[in-house]
Amino acid sequence: MGRQLIYVIAAICTTMTVILLLILTAEPVANAGGAAHPVFAGMRIGGDGLARLETIGSLGYAFQALLLSLIVAFATLGVSERHRTPRLRAYMIATLVFSLFILWRMVASHLNFIATGETSYFMGFPTATAWAMYGVWLGGIPLVFIYTLGFRQFIYTDEDQAEFERLVAESIAEPIAEPIAEGRENENSSEDAR
Amino acid sequence: MEAYRQEIILAAVALYMVFCVITGLWAMRKTTDASDFFVAGRGLGPIVISLALFSSTLSGFGFVGGPGLVYSIGVSSFWMITISTAGYALGFFMVSKRIRMIAELRNCISLPDVLAARYGSEAVRLLVAITIVLGVMGYLATQILAMAVVMQAILSGTAMFADISLVSCVAISSAVLIFYCVTGGIIASVYTDVVQGGIMMTAGVLILLTAMSVFDGGMTEATSIILKDDSEAIMPWGSAGIMASLGWFFVFGLGLAGQPHLVTKMMMNRKISDNRHIFPLSILGYVLAALLWVSIGIIMRATVIDGVIPPLTLPDDAASVFLSVFTSPLLAGIVFAGLFAAIMSTSDAFLNIGTAAIIHDIPKAIRGKSINNELLWARIVTVILAIVAALFALYSYYADATLVALLGAFGWATFAASLFPVVALGLNWKGATVPGAVAAIVSALIINFGVQLAGIALPYGVSGGLLSFVVSLFLFVNVSLLTKPPSLDSDIDRVMDI
Repeated sequence: MGRQLIYVIAAICTTMTVILLLILTAEPVANAGGAAHPVFAGMRIGGDGLARLETIGSLGYAFQALLLSLIVAFATLGVSERHRTPRLRAYMIATLVFSLFILWRMVASHLNFIATGETSYFMGFPTATAWAMYGVWLGGIPLVFIYTLGFRQFIYTDEDQAEFERLVAESIAEPIAEPIAEGRENENSSEDAR
Repeated sequence: MEAYRQEIILAAVALYMVFCVITGLWAMRKTTDASDFFVAGRGLGPIVISLALFSSTLSGFGFVGGPGLVYSIGVSSFWMITISTAGYALGFFMVSKRIRMIAELRNCISLPDVLAARYGSEAVRLLVAITIVLGVMGYLATQILAMAVVMQAILSGTAMFADISLVSCVAISSAVLIFYCVTGGIIASVYTDVVQGGIMMTAGVLILLTAMSVFDGGMTEATSIILKDDSEAIMPWGSAGIMASLGWFFVFGLGLAGQPHLVTKMMMNRKISDNRHIFPLSILGYVLAALLWVSIGIIMRATVIDGVIPPLTLPDDAASVFLSVFTSPLLAGIVFAGLFAAIMSTSDAFLNIGTAAIIHDIPKAIRGKSINNELLWARIVTVILAIVAALFALYSYYADATLVALLGAFGWATFAASLFPVVALGLNWKGATVPGAVAAIVSALIINFGVQLAGIALPYGVSGGLLSFVVSLFLFVNVSLLTKPPSLDSDIDRVMDI
C-alpha cells in the first residue's frame, strides 16, 4: 500500500459521494428524520424503525462501512510512506476488521430488536445501543495503540528525528525565503509528487 | 446549604473568573513577542497541550446543547461522542507531526502560515484566513451570548442582582475573557484551559454518579423507560435516524482534524515526541467530560416521560433543570464553573486564531508581509474582535438573529468541510494541489451557506454539513489528481517524507 493509497481514498470518496446522492434522491419515507413527540413538546420520536430503514438502510450501512474504511485509510496515509511496513498494514487491516465487526454486531442487534421487540441490556443500554455507544468508541482504540506504542516504529523514528534536526540546522544556517510565488505550483511539475 | 444554592453557584463561578484574571496577569510576563502570543513559543508540555486540546474541543455546546440534544432526539447525538477516538486519531496521525515540523522550520504562528508554506500559495492563505475570520465571528458571538445568558440566570437568582440585564452580563463575561486573552495571549489561554479541563472532567464524573442514582435501577431503568415510550429514540440511530447520526459521525470524526483552533494547538508542544502522550490523554479528558452530556440527557428524557418532573420548556434547559433538581449546590457550582470553563476555553482559542488571521495572515496574503509590531496589534485586535463579537451577539439577541445563525453555520461543519481536506490530506499527500484546495474550500462554503440561506431541509436527516464535507473531499482528491502536481520547496518536500 504505497502510492496507490491515494487512489484507494479517491475510490472510497467517490463511492461515498454516489451513495449520498442515491440517498438524497431515494423515495422519501415519512418521518425518516424523526417526528414531534405526541405528548412532550421539545422531544422527538423515531417511530417505526423498520420503515425508516427499508428504503435506505443498506445504503446507510454501506456508507458507514466506507467511512470506517476511510478513517483507516487516512490514518495509514498519515504514516510516512517508508514506515508503511507489512506489520503496519496488518495492524491497520485488523483495526478495520475490528470496526466492521462492531458495525455488524450493532446492525444485527438492532434488526433483531426490530424483528422481535426484545432486547437485553449491557452497562445501562439496550444491546444494540451498547454496541454503538461502547463498541464504536472502542473501534478507534487500536489506532491509539498503534500510534502510542508504535510511535518510534511507525510515526517518528529516531532516524526521522535526526533527519528533522538536520533540516532545522540547515534552515538556521541558510534561512529559506518566505513561501510566496503564486502559481509556482505549475512550475517544474513532477509526477514523482503523486 | 440548600438555602444558599444560588450564592454557592455564584461563588464557584466568581472564583473561577478570578483565577482567569490572575492567570492573565501571570502569563503577561511570559509573553514577549508574537510567537509567544499566538503559539506559546512552541514550548508547552504534554499535559498542558492535552487538557487545552480536549477542553477547546468541548465548548459550551457540549455542556448545554449536548444534554439538550439527547433529551430531544435520544441516542442520535451520541455519534458525536463515540467518534472521538477515531477523530483524535486522525488529528494525530495526519496533522500533529507535520504541522509542528513546518511551524518550527518556517517559524509559523498560524494555520494559514503553515498552509501557505505547504502549498506555496498566498491564495490558499487568504481563503483559509477569511474562512477563519468568518467562522470566528459566528462562534464567538454565540459563545459570548451563551455565557451571558447563563450568567444572567445565575445572578438573577440572588437578591442583590435580581434585575441584572443581559447587556451587563455580556459586559462582565466579555471583560474577563478579553482581559486574560489580551494580557497573556495563548499562554494564558492554554493555562486556563488546564484548569478548565480539570473542572470539566470532574464535573463529568460527578454528574454520571449522580445520574446513576436518580432511578433505583440506575441507567438501565432510565433507558428502559425511554424504550417503552419510543424504542427508536434509544436504539443506535436515535429519533433523528441513520443519516443524521452518520452525518454527525462523519463531520465530528473526520472534522476534528480540520478545526483551526484545535490544530493550531498541535503547533505549540515543546517536543514532537510528546504527541504519543498528548493523544491518549486528550481522549481520556474528552470522554470523562462527555459523560455529563450523555447522562444528563438520558436521565432528563426518562424522568420527564416517567412523570418525575414536568416537561422542559426548551431542550437546552436539560442541564440547568437537572442541576437544580438532582444535584447538591456544591456540585451545581462546580458544573456551572465547568460550563463557563467550556465556553471560555473555546472562545479564547477562537479569539486567538481570529486575531492571527486579521493582523498576520490577511495582510501577508495581500501585501506580502505582515504588519509591524505584531504583539501590540495582536492585543489591540483581540479587544476589538471580542467587542465586535459581543455587540454582534447582543444585536442578534435583541434585533435579528439571522446573521448570527448564518455565521453559526460556519461552525464545526464548515471548518471541517473546508479545512480538513486542505490541512489533513494536504500535509500527507504531495500530489495535493492549489486548485484542489481552492475547490474544496469554495465548495464547502457555497454548500453550507446555500443550504442555510435557502433553508433547505435535505431528506432522511442528511445535513448540509455532511453533504458539503463529502463533496469537498471528493473535489479535493479528484481535482488534485487531475491537475499538475506541485513542485514543493525542498524543506517542505523533506518534511513530507518524514
